[in-house]
Amino acid sequence: MIKAYILILTYVGNLKSVLNELKNLENIESIAVIAGDYDIIVKARVNSLEELMELTDKIHAIKGVKRTNTQVVEKEIEA
Amino acid sequence: MIRIRKKYLFYTLGITSAIIAAAGTTTDTYASIYIKNPWALCFSIFLVGLVITFLLTAILSIPVNGKTIGSTIDPSFRGMRLIKKEELKYQAIAGFANAVTTLAYFYVIWSYNNPFTPATILAFSQVVIIYLLAIESITEKNAPTLAEVQSAIIVSFGAMLASISLKGGINARGIAVVFLVLNPSWALFSIYQRKLKLLRFDGCYNDAINIRLWNIVFTTFFTFVAILLMGYFMHENLLQESLNTLSYWHLLAISMTIAFFSYVFYIRALGLGKASVTQAVKSSNIIFSIPFSFWLASIVGGSLFESPLHALIKIMGMILVILGVISFALTEVRGYIFINAKSGYRAKDLIEEIWKIKGVTSIAAVAGSYDIIAKVRIRSLGKGYERIVRVLEGINGIASFKWHSILKEWEEI
Repeated sequence: MIKAYILILTYVGNLKSVLNELKNLENIESIAVIAGDYDIIVKARVNSLEELMELTDKIHAIKGVKRTNTQVVEKEIEA
Repeated sequence: MIRIRKKYLFYTLGITSAIIAAAGTTTDTYASIYIKNPWALCFSIFLVGLVITFLLTAILSIPVNGKTIGSTIDPSFRGMRLIKKEELKYQAIAGFANAVTTLAYFYVIWSYNNPFTPATILAFSQVVIIYLLAIESITEKNAPTLAEVQSAIIVSFGAMLASISLKGGINARGIAVVFLVLNPSWALFSIYQRKLKLLRFDGCYNDAINIRLWNIVFTTFFTFVAILLMGYFMHENLLQESLNTLSYWHLLAISMTIAFFSYVFYIRALGLGKASVTQAVKSSNIIFSIPFSFWLASIVGGSLFESPLHALIKIMGMILVILGVISFALTEVRGYIFINAKSGYRAKDLIEEIWKIKGVTSIAAVAGSYDIIAKVRIRSLGKGYERIVRVLEGINGIASFKWHSILKEWEEI
């Protein structure tokens, strides 16, 4: 099991439509709209790096996505 | 696929459970009019419950279009299954706690020799929310915030006022049983049901339906042992009396069917929120029980309110419950912090150090343009500065960090 954070920057005015598209994707654990350098942070859970690539490709294909930045989780502690 | 926000689902589940529980309480009151021996009622209700729960779980296990019927009420449900090794200890404790809770509840009713007057003392069982808060502030990493403590106290006192009766007396023994036996065992029951729901098997969360099924198995066993022991000391054949009360099996079956659905929704809600908050949301059943109580009063006679003063106290209590539940839903700030470490510091040591900060709910060492991503949850942005930002600034290995407040969030459930 591989987890990753995908940080997404959108073009102004596209946030809502990007969110609606993201909600339909598989392998996503959570989606948060954030205030800061990025607009959306997605937490993904995939079985392989290949699947992660497929997911990021799908995100890139969404109209309104300007740039993504993927951070693969190496070690995690959760409450 | 993410369909509904976690927060909405949590409150939907909690309130659905409360509405169903309100119907259940009414059935129990109706059953206690016919079944006079509370101990016999206690065992026979679980005995009938065992059969009903087994049948319901079997029906819910029927596959339709590749999914079980039960997956509509809990998506994690894959069909009836045997108990798993990891669950055994938790189920034993939850079953024991449920048996003690039920016996203590019936003891209070019994000690008054009348099913209607114990309402004065049983109202104090609403204080269980405060017990849960106290336990969580010691054991949980995600300790309750001040706003949560305030809301919980408002709900507890509101629920107490809304369920209190002015007729019954208060005796020391009844109060002792409620505060020392009923509330602690109830708190234990909730906490272990939550632990069970949070267990993961092959990456999937445990399902509420099997948790309820196995809880009933353990509870029936512990109640059976208790009935045998009490029968021995009281020189009464309680087992025979329990079997006699089975002639009212249809009443018990309705009660346990209602309880099944109420608990399944409650356990699902427990998987999403803290036990104290879930219990507080479920306290709203006091409000939902009003139409059922009116209905019951029209059948068996009697009135919902004992006097105008009683009505006033009840209405005040209900307003407090509503206010408390709303304020739970409105007070929270969450955010992500992206951290870059200085070279020469081990990420493993850093995440352990950051994990110690109160308010950090998850932390991950990542490969990418940042080194660490932490998720935080606090009461206000001001607290975020005092509790988190100032502490991060004091950690040696951190080169820089960026705070990103969460404006809205969806989570898969």
